Amino acid sequence: MKMVASSNTVAPSPHEVAVTTNKRHPFWEWIGTVLVILAAFPMVAPFAWMLTTSLKSGPHAFDMPPSWLPTEWHFQNFLSLFQSKVPFATFLVNSLEVAIAVTAAQLLTCSMAGYAFAHLRFRHAKAIFGLLLTSLMMPIQVTVIPTFLIMSGLNLIDTHWAIILPLVTNAFGVFLMRQFFLTLPRELIEAARIDGASQFKIFWKVALPLAKPALASLGIITFTNTWNSYFLPLVFLNSWEKMTVPLGMFALSNVYGSGNVSVIMAAVGVAVCPVLIFFLVAQRQIISGMVGSAVKG
Amino acid sequence: MKKTSSETLLGYLYVGPTLSGYLLFVLGPLIAAILLSFTHYDMMSPPRLIGFSNYARLFSDARLAVVYKNTALFAVMAVVLTVGIGTLLGIALNKRLPGFLKYILRTAYFFPVLVGMIYAAMVWKFLFNRDLGVVNYYLHFFNLPPIPWLTSTAWAIWSVILVYGWKNVGFTMLTTLAGLQNISEELYEAARIDGAKSHAVLFRIIIPLLSPVILFNMTITMINTLQEFDSIVALTNGGPGDASRTVVMYIYDKAFRSFDMGYASAIAVTLFVVISIFTVLQLWAGRRWVHHS
Repeated sequence: MKMVASSNTVAPSPHEVAVTTNKRHPFWEWIGTVLVILAAFPMVAPFAWMLTTSLKSGPHAFDMPPSWLPTEWHFQNFLSLFQSKVPFATFLVNSLEVAIAVTAAQLLTCSMAGYAFAHLRFRHAKAIFGLLLTSLMMPIQVTVIPTFLIMSGLNLIDTHWAIILPLVTNAFGVFLMRQFFLTLPRELIEAARIDGASQFKIFWKVALPLAKPALASLGIITFTNTWNSYFLPLVFLNSWEKMTVPLGMFALSNVYGSGNVSVIMAAVGVAVCPVLIFFLVAQRQIISGMVGSAVKG
Repeated sequence: MKKTSSETLLGYLYVGPTLSGYLLFVLGPLIAAILLSFTHYDMMSPPRLIGFSNYARLFSDARLAVVYKNTALFAVMAVVLTVGIGTLLGIALNKRLPGFLKYILRTAYFFPVLVGMIYAAMVWKFLFNRDLGVVNYYLHFFNLPPIPWLTSTAWAIWSVILVYGWKNVGFTMLTTLAGLQNISEELYEAARIDGAKSHAVLFRIIIPLLSPVILFNMTITMINTLQEFDSIVALTNGGPGDASRTVVMYIYDKAFRSFDMGYASAIAVTLFVVISIFTVLQLWAGRRWVHHS
């Protein structure tokens, strides 16, 4: 350990210094830790309530005191989502279709553009990249009116195309992929070129396979965002057969009112499931994708 | 020479899909929105040029003033709540806690970030119910009167702010944790050996070195709150009256309920200008104040 007791006349002995530096938990740090633990309860409580309520039979949904662990196992709520007139299964299929299409499209367009910005030299590359980044601050509500007119001109209102096409690419994804491809050494690309590989082959066979972690991050984030998206479906979809889960379930919850709170919570539970699974399986990819842009950018 | 031009062609080929998506769905619509803002357009008859009438109307629209005031309150308080608490959480969780406890806490704070806002708000809508809600049950438990969280003009916007903070605080926490990882352990050691007090370490070392992350979080939160739509629609639907209505909800109502596309575009243009100003200001503040090591 380095010692720095210079001009101080009452310099502490080395032994004392060691003691103070090892004392890593002063009083207020303990307070902080306790507060952080206590505040975690309200973070989790809404999910616990959602789960216990989704397993209650209707009349008991608002029983007090609230139960934070399941008191009954009324799985009927989940079954009735699929058995009643509620087109919940249709919503799920629609959400899945849109989310998969958008994710596949973004993985392709964002990795192509990200690779080009990182490893190809072409005119105005910097200006185009800067221009793309401006869309990160563009509220969707500013562009949605003309987009609505475009879609209605193309006769695409109330089709899934109307919510897929505007999301075919995404500046965040381009940025994420560019950051990743920048970490690939230029020599690697050069070596492949000297070996006679075509530019397309270098991208498809060399760079892209190495980009799997970044593609996983982008894929999960894009899927989650699209799966959760409410605004675009609200603007563009109006028939029950076309609706996605967020749009359909929210509309239905308003129709039902609070009488069917258990069934509504069952629906929310099902809708949250894919996100929970992603989180448990690929927490690291999600975090690195979301945080990478903050810290490196 | 030939190689350069072929690489340019290839570059445009790779960027092409993204660039055309941007032109069709971002830049094009932005320009179209600016043009539409000078017209009267109800989707029945073709757009009619009316000059600056829509912009003149902005100034006499009492509802617009209300929704802008709500939006400003929402944005400022959400930034204070999310960035303030999230940064402190990140700092608190960066300590030597048992690995398992750390993982549980990080997960608890981060998970809501991934859950769709519309779902989170549907749950909170029941929790905030005045008579049957869990929140008021616990207030009653402590002998406090029930609060009409979503149904009173005084409380509605604050409920929305709370839910926004609850859902997004984990993102700030996580970026803060990542930022702290870049501060070397030796710096703390050196400060402690020099006899620096804990609060001096916090204000003189941690916060200055975290300033790029804090500014990033403020920028992101500001941009996101100015466009927040889902939580407000689900919790209060802008009500009661206009008490929790924000600019983006007002744009939606004008455009897709009243089909007043021209006027809605004019409001959208003002929002775009406001966001641009904030972005430039924050870039400028970043150059001036942020500590770059």
